[in-house]
Amino acid sequence: MVLPYLIYVRTCPACGDGLCRVRVCTHQNKLAGCVVCDECESVWTDPAMSEKFTEGVDSYTASCPDCGRSLWEDTSHWADIQEVCLLGWYDKVKVART
Amino acid sequence: MTRRSPQNPEMIAGALKLLPARWAIAILVAAIAYVVLQPKLNQWFGWNLPSAAAMLGQEAPAAKSKQPPITKPDTAANTKLDTASSNKTAPPKPSNPKPAPQKPTLANGTDATSSKTSSGSKTSSNDSEDLKFRFLKPLGRDRYESPAGLIYTPGSEEGHRLKHIERHVSDQPNRPGSHGVFDGDMESFLTAIDDGYKRARGHAKGTKQREEEGMTVFEAPFDKPIGYLGGSEGARKGKPKLKRLRIVVRDKNLITAFPIQ
Ligand SMILES: [Zn+2]
Ligand SMILES: [Zn+2]
Repeated sequence: MVLPYLIYVRTCPACGDGLCRVRVCTHQNKLAGCVVCDECESVWTDPAMSEKFTEGVDSYTASCPDCGRSLWEDTSHWADIQEVCLLGWYDKVKVART
Repeated sequence: MTRRSPQNPEMIAGALKLLPARWAIAILVAAIAYVVLQPKLNQWFGWNLPSAAAMLGQEAPAAKSKQPPITKPDTAANTKLDTASSNKTAPPKPSNPKPAPQKPTLANGTDATSSKTSSGSKTSSNDSEDLKFRFLKPLGRDRYESPAGLIYTPGSEEGHRLKHIERHVSDQPNRPGSHGVFDGDMESFLTAIDDGYKRARGHAKGTKQREEEGMTVFEAPFDKPIGYLGGSEGARKGKPKLKRLRIVVRDKNLITAFPIQ
């Protein structure tokens, strides 16, 4: 589903061009959130972006810090506003209309 | 065009009225069985039985059913790709998490090249996509290697790294922040990436290289502008021209590349 808005934390400190966006994994009906650069696919565990997650199914795929599965599988998607609220991250993100 | 033949529906109905009820039922059952079985018989045995609609003059008879339409003979370039991209004859496997049936992913586009005779969806836009792959050597399983040794693999939100970097050959003016746009087509973009990568790896003048937890970020300058600053930031600044290229890799796997200031 393409959202009419884009939720992001900041420009990526690793690659300088990507947007660090909130992505959720719903594997086993559990809502797990993380922050992913949509350009270089660096993954952080939360919007503070102090801890980078580099493990997972393989080192070339952005993976969920909670279950390790690829963040590009059907079990994951960019978070919508409700999900960002559920994660308690709403005051840590910016919302831009696209 | 009006057709008046014994196959005309009204005449068939009239003829049925003249038959004993048992015969009429038997003929109806046979007709229904034919309607149901005709496509399957064509599929199983490669027959070319006409559909009931075609026999009633309401539809042109089907061409060899289930035989994919043959598009066009291979050009020299396509033949080269066919040979290189293994001897697959089947259509691309559904490994791509987001297949796009009308416009295959770049990777699938290449596979489609190798199965040109089994795909009726080749279009001129796909032909232009084929051009990109004159540059890359297929390694199998949707993986490609550039002359400089960069590997382009499946992955990313778009399904393939090639598709991912394709975002940078056009602007995204509504995107927050900056968006480096390469001024050229994919083939010249791939060539520029290889050029920048080779020079940066060789520590040529003006290049940079830094390690970023699990990835390496290269930068290389170019003599002339290779693109411009897009996105909302670029629009605000009047789309200044860019003469540097940033290339992000994990080992030799290209993750992304884009022009920068
Ligand atoms: Zn990044
Ligand atoms: Zn998960």
